Amino acid sequence: MTTLLYTTCLGLFCMLAEVLNLRKLLIPAVILGLSAIFVVNMQQWGITTPASIGSVSLSHMVKMDNFAIAFSGLAIVISILIFVLAANYYKDDQNHISDYLSIMVFVLCGALVMFSYNNMAMLFLGIEILSISLYIMAGSRRFDTRSNESGMKYFLMGAFASGFLLFGIALIYGASGTFELEGITKYIAAGEVAPMFYLGVTLLLFAMLFKVSAVPFHFWSPDVYEGAPALITAFMSTLVKVAAFAALYRLFSHCLGGTMYYVEPLLIIVTGATIIVGNVTALSQINVKRILAYSGIAHAGYMLLGVLSSQTNAASSVFFYAAAYAIATVGLFALAIMTFKSNFSENVDAFNGLAKKNPVAAALISIFMLSLAGIPPFAGFLGKYYIFSEAIRNGYVTLTLFAVINSIIAVYYYLKVIIAMYSQPANDKPMVVHPTYMVVAIICAAATIGLTLVPDMLMQILK
Amino acid sequence: MNDNMIQDTLLVTPALLVSLLPLIGFLINGLFGKFLPKSVTGWIAALAILGSFICSVTLFNGLNSTSSLNIDIFNWIAFSNINITFGFLIDPLTITMLLVVTGIGFLIHLYSIGYMHDDEGYTRFFTYLNLFIFFMLLLVMGNNYLVMFIGWEGVGLCSYLLIGFWFKNESYNNAAKKAFVMNRVGDLGFLLGMFFMLFYFGSIDYSTVANQAQTLAPNSALLITITMLLFVGAMGKSAQLPLFTWLPDAMAGPTPVSALIHAATMVTAGIYMIVRSNILFSLAPTTLTFILIVGVATSVFAAVIGLLQNDIKKVLAYSTVSQLGLMFAALGLGAFSSGMFHVVTHAFFKALLFLGAGSVIHALHGEQDIRKMGGLGKYIKVTYITFLLASLAISGFPFLSGFFSKDEILAHAFEQNKTIWVILSISSFITAFYMFRLVFLTFFGNFRGTEETKKHIHESPITMTLPLIVLCILAVVGGLLGLPEVFHVQHVFSTYLSSVTEGSAQYLVHHEKVSHATEIALMSFAGIGAIVVILFAYNKYVKQNALPADEVELTGLNKVISNKFYVDEIYETVFVKPITVLSDLFLVLVDKLIIDLAVNATAWIVATTGKTMRLLQTGNTGFYVFAMIIGMMVLLIIRLFI
Repeated sequence: MTTLLYTTCLGLFCMLAEVLNLRKLLIPAVILGLSAIFVVNMQQWGITTPASIGSVSLSHMVKMDNFAIAFSGLAIVISILIFVLAANYYKDDQNHISDYLSIMVFVLCGALVMFSYNNMAMLFLGIEILSISLYIMAGSRRFDTRSNESGMKYFLMGAFASGFLLFGIALIYGASGTFELEGITKYIAAGEVAPMFYLGVTLLLFAMLFKVSAVPFHFWSPDVYEGAPALITAFMSTLVKVAAFAALYRLFSHCLGGTMYYVEPLLIIVTGATIIVGNVTALSQINVKRILAYSGIAHAGYMLLGVLSSQTNAASSVFFYAAAYAIATVGLFALAIMTFKSNFSENVDAFNGLAKKNPVAAALISIFMLSLAGIPPFAGFLGKYYIFSEAIRNGYVTLTLFAVINSIIAVYYYLKVIIAMYSQPANDKPMVVHPTYMVVAIICAAATIGLTLVPDMLMQILK
Repeated sequence: MNDNMIQDTLLVTPALLVSLLPLIGFLINGLFGKFLPKSVTGWIAALAILGSFICSVTLFNGLNSTSSLNIDIFNWIAFSNINITFGFLIDPLTITMLLVVTGIGFLIHLYSIGYMHDDEGYTRFFTYLNLFIFFMLLLVMGNNYLVMFIGWEGVGLCSYLLIGFWFKNESYNNAAKKAFVMNRVGDLGFLLGMFFMLFYFGSIDYSTVANQAQTLAPNSALLITITMLLFVGAMGKSAQLPLFTWLPDAMAGPTPVSALIHAATMVTAGIYMIVRSNILFSLAPTTLTFILIVGVATSVFAAVIGLLQNDIKKVLAYSTVSQLGLMFAALGLGAFSSGMFHVVTHAFFKALLFLGAGSVIHALHGEQDIRKMGGLGKYIKVTYITFLLASLAISGFPFLSGFFSKDEILAHAFEQNKTIWVILSISSFITAFYMFRLVFLTFFGNFRGTEETKKHIHESPITMTLPLIVLCILAVVGGLLGLPEVFHVQHVFSTYLSSVTEGSAQYLVHHEKVSHATEIALMSFAGIGAIVVILFAYNKYVKQNALPADEVELTGLNKVISNKFYVDEIYETVFVKPITVLSDLFLVLVDKLIIDLAVNATAWIVATTGKTMRLLQTGNTGFYVFAMIIGMMVLLIIRLFI
């Protein structure tokens, strides 16, 4: 709870910074603040006393359990890395820096609520805080029509999803008479479940699937990712995706586990469709942001396997997967943004001959690509390994085989970039290197390799 | 051993530092070496190893010979029911290896500062050297086979990098590749052995494996399989028949590397591994017999080849192979601590011999052919005296280190099998002969090189001679660690190692100990024999001034020996050529015809699907919402009606 409070205060501080004329110091201050919040967040580890403000107990609303703390920690780390990138990304746009930063901190606030919600109303609030901030950020480049289109599309389709979400929650409330997760669990356990309740669960599920960009609710994501400013795309494909997944996982592990048998066929179809559509469509893309959008869809499919396994405590596996995916993606975006800016292009050919121009960056990009493709010895491989073995343990053998075959297809489009870097002739546009991007990429690469050295540490924390 | 395990927190820090310091040295030189002055990088590397050595000494002082220290650093890999930790086990055996590796390692670093000073790859050299020490320490410190395997592979990698250190020379690169490939053959055995242990014992911890193995019937098929596979690994790394040909070629690397990696430390890893698993091996007598045969055969075979080599380093290389054979023979006899004892004394004198050879090569500006040397004793006194003492030690001259350690192995052989004893004695006399052939041709008589070279002969700098002197002292007195019982003193070395090897004693067949009188007779025989052989060599190469003939002039058996029994050529015809032919065949038939077609067809289908699916992404929001709703309807219908 304190994590959320402090983060909200940080967001407010960002808004005030405009008035106080602190723009230059803002980014270091936010990074420092988030680091402090990270420490505060981790200090709550293992403490089970219900959240409260003063004497008012908040346990009906939020519950900071280890699941929430672990994901909050991950989200804060991702945000810090993104804010480091923001320092250079927004250096020519100082007028709006405090607006951008405060909105991004509010996205984090939304994510924190989505990790720790203990009440359907909080879930809705979290999703809305996150989404509305994102609609703005996606369209934040006001004079760029593509950015406008991106924000508008995201908003329109997100509004539909919110409608389903609310309708689903309403039906659940109508049947069970409560918003609280524990109350709903009790209602399911009692045995007399109204048909309306199932419809509510299904609608709720659809809305969540929209948020994680699963097929057939994925159409928004390639267009939005492509049009949004690259930094925001990085934010969406990492923090937001992790938040949506954690929320979906929490929904089934903390509350709707009893209805799993009902939604299982739907989830299996959606998972399979998501994996294949994501991977196969990515093959023929030439825009790197779109490739990553489809890759994100495919990864959502893999993580849905984790949700399917949510009844056997697969939280560690999902967490490991999410961490490996998010860290590699942040690193990748750090270097991709640099390449985009140097080449004035976001297509694969912008990477041509990068190995000659900047061998370090090329090597780092290769690490991230290979990790995302799930090739050992990088973290992505172990993530896939854990998720797949969890799914097999739960009996989804065919689906897992299908996922494995698809992850082989995925190698094609990840390698496409690596091949462009190493075996295409370099163009004459110099690579403009900025240290902040390199630092973030190196940290992410170290983590991508480091996680595989001590996989058990991460795997044990949510056991 | 479990009973004696103590968790002495004071010793954890030095134990971790031992392995970390070389890693830190490696990282500093590897990442920032470019920006540091050349002279500094060498000293950073050397000091890292010195620090490591000091920590090893602390561990030696802190742990008595009956205790061991197990440090689980972190849980590493957890599968369903298998849990592998990354941890260290510090016991007398580890400490022995630590002292040898870091002690000799430091001296060789120091030596390299002088030896490599003109090389353009100076910093790279020290970076690799530190990395090597790090992996070697992992190898000996790990508390399970996987950690050992990481070290095992790591030292193999460093060996590859250092053999091919002068990578502009194509034949050096080929030597490096050969070493790597041959080691991989052995590594496969090691890996399979680990898989067997994981599968049947569910663990690869040393202690668990040893305990589990003791529940099986001795000499059961499983135990024989595992130990044989492990021994295949040891054969590759320790250059035993038939996987030995890489080691002589490995002399392509800089001489300090030959001394450190290909004589004193890495090649003894196979022996360390078997002593570490001594309980496992003693439960499989069949494997032990096999090891004995391989060891004895290698010992004689390599010694015979050594007789007719003319490259100073090649002679030493074959001598190393031969001595390693002797150590394996000791292990095959079940004399684990004797084998380790010879590892230690051999490390002293063989490192010294190589460094001495390096000093000779340094003095002659790269000349390695002993036919072009001669009379060097007058010019490079320190090198000469230390080299001579080392040669006496390896030949088994009475009361030098090699005398005691060899004698111990020979006594064990005598106890168990007289034939083995005879063969090993012959092998050790041959050793004495070719070593002194080398000494006499190099340091005695008149200089046979050009006048130009003669003018430039000079003694090496202090950084090079100091390690020679220190190692020389060790090579001379090292034998005191293991005085035989005849002298009515405790065998310091085997007592120190007893907690490691005692577990296997009950499974070994016990032979009548030779009486003291016999033992003295054996020692005298070996000692006097060595002296006679040396005198014979003196007569031939100094008195008569005999010179090795050119390879082309040799005939009959001599020609065969000089060509190393044509082993390389045989391997070329038996393994390499058929594989090349087969792979050509597969390329045309399987790869081009079947696989390519299948792969391309699949890829085409997938790519076409991708292009088609892409068309759904119209960019029209209305269509997206429509598709979403349709999707929802379909899913709901499936859920409700199917």
